[in-house]
Amino acid sequence: MLKAPMLKAMTVVAASALLAGAAVAHHGWGSYDAAKPVTVEGAILTSKYENPHATVTVRNESKVWTVTLAPTSRMSSRGASEKVIAVGNKISAYGYPSTATPDEMRAERITVDGKTYEMR
Amino acid sequence: MTEEAPAIFVALEQSGLGAAIRQSTWLFPVANVGHILALMVFAGALAIMDVRLLGGLAATAPARVLMRARTVAVAALILQVATGFILFTADASHVIINPVFQLKLALIAAGLGNLAIFEFGVKRSVVKLSPGAAMPASAKTAGLLSLAIWLAVAACGRSIAYF
Repeated sequence: MLKAPMLKAMTVVAASALLAGAAVAHHGWGSYDAAKPVTVEGAILTSKYENPHATVTVRNESKVWTVTLAPTSRMSSRGASEKVIAVGNKISAYGYPSTATPDEMRAERITVDGKTYEMR
Repeated sequence: MTEEAPAIFVALEQSGLGAAIRQSTWLFPVANVGHILALMVFAGALAIMDVRLLGGLAATAPARVLMRARTVAVAALILQVATGFILFTADASHVIINPVFQLKLALIAAGLGNLAIFEFGVKRSVVKLSPGAAMPASAKTAGLLSLAIWLAVAACGRSIAYF
């Protein structure tokens, strides 16, 4: 049987590991304002299918948004290939505006040609 | 972001190498995983060295433990520098102006400085000690500083994404 102090130490370690895991899962989402979700719709002006995150720029009414997507391996495994986010395609991106960079948002999900792709 | 990165880092990011890292599906994630695995090995080896310097593992001969663990630590550190360079190059112009990354670089310099002081000074008085002999205060200081600095380096590394 484990002694009580040992059990307590193990609980603390396990809890820390869980917290660390949660932090990793939220990698890079900290500087986006989830309380103010936006939907950016329009034609893709530029497209970078690159790591650590793919990005597109989209003209939405009066301004050009930079939309940060996901790592390319995740996108391609979910069917969001380079062709899906090609320049000229119509995209609808639901996500959160950056609190650090003006006119940048991080997409929770995107819809192209009637198909929705989750980004996290 | 209003600050401008020094031109050399903009050039590094825009280089063919930078583009290749970003455009490869696997290079960036593999470097990312490798960076963490190398950190684990480095931290393990380093902890053995620092605990020995602090007087733990007292039944062992200091020279033997320190030199063996050092080989592993140096190999892991080289792997960390290599994988870190890949991660840095992909986004150099942003990362270099990140305050936490700058702190991390300063802490790495401090860690290497502490190591140099140990290698060229403290080590001589430690390696000839027999198992069970008390550690000199200088060795304990070096061990404690090393632990604190390298743990702070790791904490900074993980925090770059949030600043």
